[in-house]
Amino acid sequence: MTRAGAPPRFRQRKLSTKQSLAVVREDQVDKVDDDPQRNIPKVETGVEKGEEIEHHLQAAISASQAAAVGGKVAQILIPTPDTIRSSLQYDDLYQRCFSQPATYIRFSSTVEDCTGCQYNLTEEDDAFLASMNQKRALSTPCTEDQFEVIMDFFETTAQSKQPFAVVDSPPVVPYEEMESSFHEGIDDSVWIFAREVYQHWKVERIKRGNRPLTPSLKFETGQERDDSDPYVCFRRREVRAVRKTRGRDAQSSEKLRKLRKELELARHGLAMVKQREVLKRDILASDRQIFEERMQVKEEKRRNGFKDDDEDLINQKPQKRRINEAPQIQRPSVVQPRIPSRQDGRSAEADLIPLQDVLAEKENEMNRKLEEKIAQHNNCNRGYLDLTRMPLTPTTEQTSTFSFRSAVTEYLPTPPASVSSEASGNGTQVRDESPTRGRGDTIIVRYASPTYEGPSHTQLSFRRRRGRGGRILVDRRGLRLQSPEEDIDPIVYDRFRYDRDDEDEQPTYEVDPYETLFVRYRASMLPISHKDHAAAVHAHSVRRLQQQDVSMANGQSTSGAPGQHRGHAPSSTPTSAIVGSSGL
Amino acid sequence: MAPRDASQDPSEVPVPLEKGFATLATLRIGVKAFVEKDGEKRKAEILSMQERKGQPFFYVHYEEFNKRLDEWIPAQRLDLSKEVEWPAPEKPDKKKSGAASKANSKNEMSKLTKAQKRHRVGASRDISGTPESSSTAAAGNGLAPSLFKVAPGVENNDSIALVSAEVMDGTPKPGDEEMDLVDVQDAAAAAKAAPPEIYSREDEIEKLRTSGSMTQNQTEISRVRNLGRVQFGRHEMDPWYFSPYPVELTEEEMIYICEFCLSYHAHLRQFTRHRQKCTLLHPPGNEIYRDDYVSFFEIDGRRQRTWCRNLCLLSKMFLDHKTLYYDVDPFLFYCMTTRDEYGCHLVGYFSKEKESAEGYNVACILTLPQYQRMGFGRLLIAFSYELSKRENKLGSPEKPLSDLGLMSYRAYWQETIVDILMDGRTDVNIEEIGALSAMTTNDVLHTLQNLNMVRYSKGQYVIVLTDAIVAQKEKQLEKEKTKPRRKIDPEKLQWKPPVFTASSRTWNW
Repeated sequence: MTRAGAPPRFRQRKLSTKQSLAVVREDQVDKVDDDPQRNIPKVETGVEKGEEIEHHLQAAISASQAAAVGGKVAQILIPTPDTIRSSLQYDDLYQRCFSQPATYIRFSSTVEDCTGCQYNLTEEDDAFLASMNQKRALSTPCTEDQFEVIMDFFETTAQSKQPFAVVDSPPVVPYEEMESSFHEGIDDSVWIFAREVYQHWKVERIKRGNRPLTPSLKFETGQERDDSDPYVCFRRREVRAVRKTRGRDAQSSEKLRKLRKELELARHGLAMVKQREVLKRDILASDRQIFEERMQVKEEKRRNGFKDDDEDLINQKPQKRRINEAPQIQRPSVVQPRIPSRQDGRSAEADLIPLQDVLAEKENEMNRKLEEKIAQHNNCNRGYLDLTRMPLTPTTEQTSTFSFRSAVTEYLPTPPASVSSEASGNGTQVRDESPTRGRGDTIIVRYASPTYEGPSHTQLSFRRRRGRGGRILVDRRGLRLQSPEEDIDPIVYDRFRYDRDDEDEQPTYEVDPYETLFVRYRASMLPISHKDHAAAVHAHSVRRLQQQDVSMANGQSTSGAPGQHRGHAPSSTPTSAIVGSSGL
Repeated sequence: MAPRDASQDPSEVPVPLEKGFATLATLRIGVKAFVEKDGEKRKAEILSMQERKGQPFFYVHYEEFNKRLDEWIPAQRLDLSKEVEWPAPEKPDKKKSGAASKANSKNEMSKLTKAQKRHRVGASRDISGTPESSSTAAAGNGLAPSLFKVAPGVENNDSIALVSAEVMDGTPKPGDEEMDLVDVQDAAAAAKAAPPEIYSREDEIEKLRTSGSMTQNQTEISRVRNLGRVQFGRHEMDPWYFSPYPVELTEEEMIYICEFCLSYHAHLRQFTRHRQKCTLLHPPGNEIYRDDYVSFFEIDGRRQRTWCRNLCLLSKMFLDHKTLYYDVDPFLFYCMTTRDEYGCHLVGYFSKEKESAEGYNVACILTLPQYQRMGFGRLLIAFSYELSKRENKLGSPEKPLSDLGLMSYRAYWQETIVDILMDGRTDVNIEEIGALSAMTTNDVLHTLQNLNMVRYSKGQYVIVLTDAIVAQKEKQLEKEKTKPRRKIDPEKLQWKPPVFTASSRTWNW
């Protein structure tokens, strides 16, 4: 107790862990100013206070410390209860079967994977098993493994049927209930012992108050006394509570439901597969049986010198037919081509229906239906005069750009002169159900469509708009303006698209704007009385135009943006000729 | 220590102990009587009583002995010619920790811990300052704790110690780089020193929840050892402490544990039958270390729940400060085995939190009793530090340590630090030592102090390699020439620190 006599002279600096300290031998230090423990705080041992004072620990600490300061003290060991060698023969229990692999072991199977059946027989079980096997002396005896499988099954089934048996103490699960869950995965040969083993199991179970036969750990049961029960162990630690909302609840229950559905589906699928495989196995077994019996027949025939055509030994024709007859009724088209080839040797192709026939059949069917519909419709309209204007409104018009109205076929009541050939590839027949003609009586209009690039490009459409000062402008769109460089590679063309000398030149159109065709067209855009119109062309767009007063500036180019009209309209295509004048 | 032990409890207002003579008939649980133990009479508390074949048997806990020495004794070993101490009547304010009395008791507690702190500082200094005197005290008295009792002479020392302690505590300079070890340690000590009776059940569960696996479940403390003998591998052992195996097993004289899958069986027949089926030959995980002596296996508690639970149950028989209150999921288990043609025999293991908030590199550590005192513990500890080095972390074992744990760790620390210091360097700082050994600076300091190696000389601290230490080291080197020491070879460790997602670290089932 050096401290008592030596009061602190000055305050020493604290020991820093970062400070570099000289490492010296004991003879290098001056003993005098060594006051080691004064300002270095005593560090905790880390042993619990109550135990730190234990006799043996203190003795051991003292001894080791004495050794550290040079005292001659024998090392003191803390006494512990002894272990002794077991009386059991190690070799009886453990086999010498470990061979160390060259590489480090990697292993992920669980204990359950490695220990087989979880039930282990007891001596009582041994006795029971022996007596049971004695009783069934003649038949196959129940092996220990089989017995354990059954017992384990009873245990696990009881556990799943009565998960709270420890708390509720319900009666032992009856045999019938057990039987209902005899199931897949376990060999059928085991179940013949089930009833007898059940009696034994029940007895054992009742002996233990319907508790599991193998002692199991106590887990939390959610009861209050769990906390103070030292045998309850391995509790789940609470996960931080997630905020509960109704939405989350619904979400997770939805997820669960979905998961369940999917699992059920998978299970169902597997069950079906299993069923199929079982059937296959049966078929194979019966095939085999048949084969073997045939062998016998053959033997018999040989032995008895029968000489016939061996019909009954080769492929079972009549049998096959019988099998195939049933589906033949239901699905003739599928089964038919296969059978006759076997039955009468005709080639299978002979019975195949040619594709053309099928298609023709289909088309006929369709036409018949159409005809029916028309007839039906006519029937409905009998006695009525349909005065509806525009009975069928083309839908494409509605969906196209609202401000532009497409000018569809109706602009061309007569074919332009340039298209004359019947064999023209572009020719299309249009059934025009004009209200003025009788129903079902159709006229055929032939016209030429411009070379198609795509519907959006070729849909010829016009727009009338009112400009400043009440001017009325008619814009057009959808013309495919063929450029002279048409034959040029599109990529090359695209490259030079805007690269032209005559940038500011007004385009020239080799079209006579006063040609009758155009005049008539433009005239149709003027307001016309309703009566005349019925007989005239009835374009949807035109009809709209009537309802507004149009003062038409004919042929006068007013304010068309130059960019809009660039391009050379070739005279060859009639459609482009119509709108030869740029801005009306 | 048993919580009933009133004389050890500093919070106890010195109530005159009720003493008197007792007869066999009047003995009851809680009575402290003198019991003959290894030729001497020791005071022991009766924890349980039982009648076997008409004879009364008493389960006694010897004062100042570890609980592992608790035992059943026949009545003959009780010395009733001496007075016995009757258990103090239960105080209502202690038992009932209502909301009102709680605040009160907390107040009380803080006062008490302060007082306790004084005791601790004073007393422990006495020991470490003059080791000779303390060892003679311990040897002569047979009771080291007598130093802790407030004797007038010691009290005097106390007050001085207190002055210096308060000087240190009182001047924590902000921005001071020096680690204020005193405050940290004292706070920890104060927390630990809180008398156990004051805990309500709720506090206790809260403590279990917030602290690590080493916390004790208070209800288990005074539990009587519940199992008979244990057959394990080639050995039979006596359990040291309570372990929550199924209650049915406690009725058996011997339980059988499979050496490889660690499953437990009440009957020999079941065990032999199990052995016929069990195919496991090594711990069910990946081998991460192998030398010619031992192998280490890494096992994830989450993936091998059954095996790890079995391991915990087994180790709980030999670890007092281990709780099985919660499941094994957040731990990794590093199992050391020796190999032969039968398989890899479990020798010891340590568990480690997948993510330790306090930077612990070991949670529980155990060498099975049959392999103790053979150097395996040192290998286990060395391996745990080897893993920490691989992780680039400093580690320390989870507290509290057991007596055996403390001795093993101190031995390892001493060896490691002395090795570093004796490699010819002339100066070193404590952090350097820590970095080289993966030890926390606190543990380094602790060790240096214990060995009396930090001295104050010529106005600065120095580390002194004392003659005794050097001699010890030389002796050891001499011994190694004939019998080389087993070491962990870092080259043979095939391991990368495992990475876990947040969900797998917790109890996400």
